[in-house]
Amino acid sequence: MRNMRFQVWLLFPALAVTAFVGIFPIFSLINYALQTPFAIENRFIGLDYFRVMFRDYRVVDAVVRNLTFAAICLAIEIPLGLGLAYLLRSPGKINAVISALIALPTLFPPVTIGMMWLLMTRSNGPIGIIFNSVMGLFGGIYDPFRDSLHAFGTVVLMDVWHWTGLIFLVSLAALSGMDETYILSARTEGATRWQIFRYTEFPQLIFPLTFVSLLRLIDTLKVFDEVYILTGGGPGLSTEFITQYIRTLGIEQWNIGYASAISLVYLYIVVVLCWLMITALTKGRGLIE
Amino acid sequence: MTKLSILLRVIILTIVAALFIIPIYFTFSVSISSKARINEGAIIPDLYIGHWIEITGGFGYWRTGIINSVIISLICMALALVISLPAGYVFTRIKFLADKHLFFWFLTNRMAPPVVFAIPYLMIWRGLKIWDTHGGLILAYMVFEIPITIWIIASFLAVIPREIDEAAYIDGYSTFRLFVKIILPLLRPAIGVAMFFAWLFAWTDMFFASVLTSVNAKTLPAQLLTALGKVGWGVEYGPAAAAGFVTLIPGVTLLYWIRRYILRGFVLGRL
Repeated sequence: MRNMRFQVWLLFPALAVTAFVGIFPIFSLINYALQTPFAIENRFIGLDYFRVMFRDYRVVDAVVRNLTFAAICLAIEIPLGLGLAYLLRSPGKINAVISALIALPTLFPPVTIGMMWLLMTRSNGPIGIIFNSVMGLFGGIYDPFRDSLHAFGTVVLMDVWHWTGLIFLVSLAALSGMDETYILSARTEGATRWQIFRYTEFPQLIFPLTFVSLLRLIDTLKVFDEVYILTGGGPGLSTEFITQYIRTLGIEQWNIGYASAISLVYLYIVVVLCWLMITALTKGRGLIE
Repeated sequence: MTKLSILLRVIILTIVAALFIIPIYFTFSVSISSKARINEGAIIPDLYIGHWIEITGGFGYWRTGIINSVIISLICMALALVISLPAGYVFTRIKFLADKHLFFWFLTNRMAPPVVFAIPYLMIWRGLKIWDTHGGLILAYMVFEIPITIWIIASFLAVIPREIDEAAYIDGYSTFRLFVKIILPLLRPAIGVAMFFAWLFAWTDMFFASVLTSVNAKTLPAQLLTALGKVGWGVEYGPAAAAGFVTLIPGVTLLYWIRRYILRGFVLGRL
């Protein structure tokens, strides 16, 4: 069409703003990562930070801890979300209300969720009371602020509470958009419930579930607010994740160069995961057709 | 269904509902309990309204945060929408060089961890003298909000048939008139969802707010971090719980209103 050339200019405001806030900072990150910026003596050090990074036990530990956290969260959230979706798939007022309740925490600010859990896990909050009485039967005491295993478990529980709703919603959408004819024909052929799930429903769920798992994986790699409020990364370093270490390095210890170098590697990993996720979402067709 | 399985279902659903209601109730309960009651556990509140008076009035610390949060999130929402509507239209309607790569680049901005951007922003914003201003924080939020809104709008636009555009051009509509008279009314649900998620991001974000502001433009989540971060100082849980509850109210209220479209927004907007 004649005026197409003009129309591409409609993209200009979005492009200009995003270039300023999206590209400019990445170049400053690259710039910072190659020198010792904002230090007493500013010198060019090349790729030294990138070499040090892979031997820094705090980086390696934070990455391993973060991946463990992501794996445990996904292993709990996906079956739970899918199960809840099966339970609540039929329409009805009660089901709609409970679905909305499950989705609700995903709309809350992470920092408020951290605060809620901080209030609840004190020894006289609801979670503290319940866990203490259950563990009291075995002679244990629930203390997420001193015991690192309890802290990690509490952080996982908090993430499950926060994000199961998202997986639930995606599963619910996938279930309601499912082609029923396969299931009906499988049922007339005399397939068991498990066989119906395994051979007709699961293949239709695999793409949405892969998409949402990658989405959650990226989110769990970014987790910071609620964990920082609840445990502050402690006790010790037992709940310190990548974001928190970079923040400590860059914002608190003013070691901008090293923090930038870690950020760049971290960003690269997230972009690769994002590409995988979009491939899963669009089944490899590409986003805009 | 047998009676037993119905009973089992009711029990499971009651537990699920309780798990999601109790934390919200407990936060509210703490916010209306006096300090002594909070130290005892505050599962049953003693209806003390001092914390709510403090956050809405008092020294004005919390009130400034609430006002900043409302202003910043609303401006962000409007700005992101105005910038993204034409961009979403271009992405779905016109083929141009490297359009898919450009779209992917927009999305990776959304997926990027905030900490990656926060460090350069801190330096650049200080250099430009927009650190701790409302405008600076809004500009920083654009890095995530523009991609979210573009993607939501583009995904809704993609299902509006292109033949409508062609018919309008044949009838002699200009691009602008086509957009205002035909596309915008069709896009109304998309605009609602995009507005909600653009607003939600600015409302819930704590990371940028805690790094890029200190006094003037500090939002409610960043204030919560400051209030709860005083380890060993005897944290004032009451006002924090009240302020935290304020951050929950819009989500709870709007959930019912946009329930129909929320799934779409969740899957796309959260990305």
